[in-house]
Order: sequence, then structure tokens, then C-alpha cells
Amino acid sequence: MIEEQGVATVAISLIRPQTENTKPPRALWVPFELGRPFGPPSDPAFQRRVILAALRMLEEGGGPVRIEDFPDDDPRERPDPGWEPPFAGAAPVDGSTAALADAFEAELPRLAAAYEQSVKRRGRTTVGLSGLPISAAAHYLAAWLLGEAPASPVADMSAPLALRFVLDDLKAYYLEAALAPSSKPSSRQLADWLWNETAAGKAMFALRRANLDAADERLKLIASNFMVPGIRAVAAG
Amino acid sequence: MRLTNLPAAMAKRLAELECPDFKTRPWVEGPPLARRRVAVVSSAGLVVRGEKPFRGRDPDFRAIPGTTRPDQLLMSHISINYDRTGFQEDWNVVFPLDRLGELAAEGAIGSVAATHYSFMGATYPVLMEDYAREVAGRLKQDKVDAVILSPV
Repeated sequence: MIEEQGVATVAISLIRPQTENTKPPRALWVPFELGRPFGPPSDPAFQRRVILAALRMLEEGGGPVRIEDFPDDDPRERPDPGWEPPFAGAAPVDGSTAALADAFEAELPRLAAAYEQSVKRRGRTTVGLSGLPISAAAHYLAAWLLGEAPASPVADMSAPLALRFVLDDLKAYYLEAALAPSSKPSSRQLADWLWNETAAGKAMFALRRANLDAADERLKLIASNFMVPGIRAVAAG
Repeated sequence: MRLTNLPAAMAKRLAELECPDFKTRPWVEGPPLARRRVAVVSSAGLVVRGEKPFRGRDPDFRAIPGTTRPDQLLMSHISINYDRTGFQEDWNVVFPLDRLGELAAEGAIGSVAATHYSFMGATYPVLMEDYAREVAGRLKQDKVDAVILSPV
């Protein structure tokens, strides 16, 4: 659409069959996982190669449809055996949602120091969609877990939308806290820790299960599609 | 990504997703890269902190000024089925503004656009058309002649 208006474009392609079907003027297919169009984090040389490989297609002819393949995999897709999570293993709970909610809210302070150091080192955080302090975000999620159906704590935001943004903020908080210095964890290592080793992960799985048949269609949609990644929800059964 | 790395059913679903069928095949040429003004147009639901995030399947866009600092950029894409840890560690994984600045400084590209743009890609392409035309108009006003379209 942009090229049709007279501005040359080159698309990064993450899913080659979709690009073949869409037929853009130029596309560079990359073998990286979804979410990483320009390759590995903290690797300027690699990212630069991707960008230049894409931009150089603008100097070449051969249209109206050209797709090229970037040859190298993201080296950060390999796990780092030297990475250690902020903590290993969630505190055991007795199976009740009240105990899980307590464990989740008690877990957050265990991450505070790691999160603050991570933010200071990287100079940024991606937490902030809900606009809530992280303790308030956790408390809001815990209230949902306890079946309280709390009102939205954010003006101009419905309760289900606030829940979705709280979920995004909490996931970001945990994962940013887990970005330990001098290590290069893969996305898989980080996600495995969040979903398998933390009370937060267990809480989100429980909240999903409890709301798959919610009367509120928005809540039902969030539970089924926007709480736990599909591949993990399917694996959990 | 390599679809062979996914469970077969998921790979099939992604490969067979219905894609828009564009009636035209435009092709715009231009000067050498060293004279081009480059912008990023992302579908990652990027939004400057403090502005209104994408809330659902919104077909509109957000402007990302070229002066945006890394700590000012949030991601409000509706999908949770892609990796965000790369972006969390380094914004250049999705929005390579630092890399473009370096390429401009060394003369590999002409310049970096004053403003970049983000859509939220999990929406209906037909609803995006007018917004895409508006973005194209703004890019042309900024004399942009090279756009990297960046997915997640």
C-alpha cells in the first residue's frame, strides 16, 4: 500500500509462505523466531547485516516481486548454560487459589532487586501499559484469581482491558528481571522459567482455566487467547 | 522463522493464513542507498509511553518520532504468541533506530526519517488502507524514499 503511493519499501518476512501469498515488491525472509525481525538482542553487528541485506534490495531490480533469504540463524536461539534465573522454583502451595494468590503476591518482592538492576543496566523498561505500579498490578491480578471480578483501577479503561494490560506488565516485569548481566539466555529459557517455575506463571494458568467459560465475553476472550501463549496452553491440556 | 521448528498443526495454520490479495504490483525505484532517507514502519503495536496504546484490533497507527528514547517505547500488540524478550533486552530487535543512526553517520544510508510509524498487525488489512495512505503521505512530506516494513 505504501509502495503504491510512491514510497519504495522492503519488508522483513518472518513467515515465508505468508510473504509468498501477499507478494510485496521486496521482502527479506529471515529465519528468526516471531518477535525478532532484526535478529538477536545486544548484537549490533548482526542486526546491521540484516538491515543492510534488506535495504540493498532497494538498489536492485528484478521486480515486481522479489523475495530473498537471509542465511544465518539467530545465535541467541541457543540456550546459555551459564544463565541462572532470579530464583528457581515457586514456593509450594496447597492447591487453593487463595494460597496461589498469596504466593504470587509474596513472590514479587523476590524480583524487585533483580528488576531494578536490569532496568538500570539497560536504561529502560517495557513495563507501563497499565500505568499501575507493579504491586498494584499484581494485587489486581490476584483479585481476579480470587474470583472478585474487581473494577478497573484505571480511568478510561474497562476491567477486562486493565486485566490484559496488567498481564502484559507483569510478564514484562518478570522477564526483564530475569535478564541477568553477563549471560545470554534464549527466549525459551526465559519463558520456561516464567511459566514453569514461578507462582505468577501458575496464577496465570489458573486464571485462564477459571475464565474459559466466563459469562463476560471479553474476559472469556482474554482467558482463551491473551493470557497464556497458545503453545503452552495446549501443552498444559 | 523456520516453520519446521513449530508443531505441525501450528506451522500449517501460519503457512495457510489467509493473506490480502492486492490487485496492483507497484515497484518504485530511487537513488543509491547512500542518498536514501529511511523510515521504519512496524506492525508491533509500538507506542510512545504516555500516548494511547493499541487496545484491540485497532487498524490505525502511532507516530514514533526519531528522537524517541528507548525507555519511551512500549509494545501494545494484542498477540502474546511471539517472543518479546528480544525487544525487552534491546529495542533494536524490533525498532532498530540506533542501527539506522549508525548507518547514517557512516554514510551507508543518506539519513534517518524524522518520524517512524507503527501499526498493530493483528487487525483486518482492509481497515488499514486509509491509514496506510495517510502514513505514505506523511512519509513523502518528510522526503522518505526507503521504508523497512517490520513485522513481529
